[in-house]
Amino acid sequence: MDFFTTLQAVVNGVLTGALYALVGMGMALIFGVMRIVNFAHGTFMMLGMYATYVLFVQAHVVPYYSFPLVALGMYGLGYLIYMALLRPIHGQSDFMQILLTLGIGLAITDAIQLVFGADYHQINFPLLEKNLHLGSHITVNAPWVVSFGIALVTGGGLYFFVMHTMSGRAARAIAQNRYAAPLMGIHLHRVQAFWFGLGVSAAAVAGSLLLPVFYLYPGVGDQFTLKAFVIVVLGGMESIVGAAMAGVLLGVVESLTSLYWGNEWALAVDFAIFLLVLSLRPSGIFGRQKA
Amino acid sequence: MRRWQLALAGSGFVLSLLVPLVVHSDYQLQVLFRIYLFAALGLAWNLVGGYAGQLSLGHAAYFGAGAYGLALFTRAGMPLWAALVMLVGLAMLFALLIGGVSFRLRGPYFALATIAFAEVLHAAAKNLPRVTGGDVGVPVPALFHTHANRSFYLCAVLLTAATTAATFLISRSRFGYYLMAIREDQETALSVGVNAARTKLHALLVSAAFTALGGALYGSLFLFIVPDQVLSIDISNEIAIVAMLGGAGTLAGPMVGAAVLESASEIFKTIFQEAHLLIYGLLLIVVVLFLPEGIMGGVEAIVRRRK
Amino acid sequence: MNLLEIEHVTKRFGGLLATNDVTFSIREGEIGFIVGPNGAGKTTLFNLISGVFHPDSGTIRFQGRDISRIRPNQAAELGIGRTFQVVKPLRNLTVLENVMLGAFLRTRSGTKAAEESRGVLRYLQMEKIADSPASGLPLPMLKRLEIARALATRPRLILLDEVMSGLSTAEALALAETLKKLPEWGISAVGGVEHVMQVVMSIADRVVVLDHGTVIAEGTAKEVVHEPRVIEAYLGSKYKELGL
Repeated sequence: MDFFTTLQAVVNGVLTGALYALVGMGMALIFGVMRIVNFAHGTFMMLGMYATYVLFVQAHVVPYYSFPLVALGMYGLGYLIYMALLRPIHGQSDFMQILLTLGIGLAITDAIQLVFGADYHQINFPLLEKNLHLGSHITVNAPWVVSFGIALVTGGGLYFFVMHTMSGRAARAIAQNRYAAPLMGIHLHRVQAFWFGLGVSAAAVAGSLLLPVFYLYPGVGDQFTLKAFVIVVLGGMESIVGAAMAGVLLGVVESLTSLYWGNEWALAVDFAIFLLVLSLRPSGIFGRQKA
Repeated sequence: MRRWQLALAGSGFVLSLLVPLVVHSDYQLQVLFRIYLFAALGLAWNLVGGYAGQLSLGHAAYFGAGAYGLALFTRAGMPLWAALVMLVGLAMLFALLIGGVSFRLRGPYFALATIAFAEVLHAAAKNLPRVTGGDVGVPVPALFHTHANRSFYLCAVLLTAATTAATFLISRSRFGYYLMAIREDQETALSVGVNAARTKLHALLVSAAFTALGGALYGSLFLFIVPDQVLSIDISNEIAIVAMLGGAGTLAGPMVGAAVLESASEIFKTIFQEAHLLIYGLLLIVVVLFLPEGIMGGVEAIVRRRK
Repeated sequence: MNLLEIEHVTKRFGGLLATNDVTFSIREGEIGFIVGPNGAGKTTLFNLISGVFHPDSGTIRFQGRDISRIRPNQAAELGIGRTFQVVKPLRNLTVLENVMLGAFLRTRSGTKAAEESRGVLRYLQMEKIADSPASGLPLPMLKRLEIARALATRPRLILLDEVMSGLSTAEALALAETLKKLPEWGISAVGGVEHVMQVVMSIADRVVVLDHGTVIAEGTAKEVVHEPRVIEAYLGSKYKELGL
């Protein structure tokens, strides 16, 4: 395989990776910073896709305009789910959190299937036909470029918000010391619910952006839950930037795996890397090594 | 276990063996087969997830090893008994690999590693058509040719009985005490000389062996298996849900959990068809929020309050 | 003969020096106490001796053997028992069954483990509650349960982390009376307490005072409380806590 084929795969990988990065950043907030083991993350992404789909089919709004609305709605849903379901089991073992979020994920996925059926859906609008040529050998599909741009802006905004706002500081304070946080006047549950909602909405935005270039079906989010965990672990848990980099890296690795071994191995390679990192360097590739 | 409990378990076993004298419908026998099969699987999971408190969400790996093992080893010309030995060995090998990597990890990382390992196997089964038949699947030899449904049902009952007996013996032994100590507090367990890593691994090996036998039984009933059926995360989830619903770390829990879950899912299938998994999700949420110790744990709490 | 020898042991956590060049030893049949305020490094020291942490530098010897790098379960096998600051009994199990967990280190048989455990419970005057559930015991009994579980492993040395905290003076005295008999069983002990209390003075053969991870005094209880550095460290707000 020649150089340009490989380069094309890397470019595709980076474009996909930007969306993984967004999913991963959401998970880094929820799991890495808040330590809520969220097995419904991909389900929330899937919900974002369906919301975007409904807005497109019913109101003819393309995803690039509807995603802020989807983000807002999913933020609200995330906030409610935290307050109604996760707050009551606060302080219990990971075990219970995993089972609860797994249950939420299964219930939502099957509820969606009940409403929309198990069929695959796709949307179509003129931009999807457009291609951009970089030089004579590299071609990129226009919607990927748009989604890349939006992911970059959203991800950057999220990072800025975490690092430079009061609310972001509160979140990081909770991450560093869960027990002292209430003493510092931080309203633990309101802060956790806020960031849970924000993490959910990041996943949903990724779903909106993915809709134009992907198939839609109820189980589409499942593999993204696991990918999001892989990304957060690779990125070093608390690090939002680490998760973003790990997301892009995963996109590239998958793209190259598809090129050389075939698409069907991509997910297996993700997990193989995950197992390798967990056993050799539990603090992640981009994380700081701890004692 | 008190004498009346032993008597209850014994008579339950004998009555279960007599069921085919009354129930002749193939459909009913198959539902009962599923209940006993998942009771056995839940009991096997319970050793790791309930007694040792390590949340495995990758038991499909051992289940699949059982189903695929039966198919592939007999295809390679092995007699049935050798294939059974080999498939148990294969599952235990997987357990050794998974345990080696993941038992050093704590909390959610263990659960994630078990999923990842099972998913790697799932992908391998899908993508190595020359070995596993790929997505098309592979035929599994029939264990029974006459009265198949009745025989499979009886086999599932026997497997449940064996798993129950093993769990009972383990729970009374030093090994069982050690598992519970690890669940409650690993630091304390280490401080009294428990080799936590080795003890957990032993539990996983026993668990994997029984799970593989369950997988072989399941595969043989269907005569043909595909990766999405025996190696999917749905199988892992279902096994864990059965045990958690009934009561993790209790002897009777998985049996109760299997009976409730499988009947509920049969009823839901007729109402919601494809979306019958909805019940799994809802049951999980209810269990975590309102019945954290499962149905048996809830019953015990009520009995204790009465006293 | 020295049973336990701590030589120049240093342990860091990030920038924090948890123990700094700590040296002391415990002879066979001795009862020692490590005294120091919360955060002085007592628990770290116990964790180092019992293999939970490993020292950054220095050596820990037990019965003449270097144990600086062993794992916690190996420490138990060698004969180092320990209790924890936060008591954690196994829920749903009885007191006896909790103690049996320790006894299983030396025997596989449940009957023998139960027999052994009953002996330990008798020694700690707990035989009456042997068959009660462990959850719901009052704190003094939970502390004793911790000790019973550690003793059931038949240790040569037992580490008692904050064994007196939360007890009334009467309860602490009663416990001290019991601990006093440990050497008769061939068991040495190292306890950790926040202050040199009367109870400590009455049973300690040796007292080591830790402050910010450093040994500032070592000797008999009487010697230690007259050390100028100890008085200085405890002067001001802490003066009264010496309990003299």
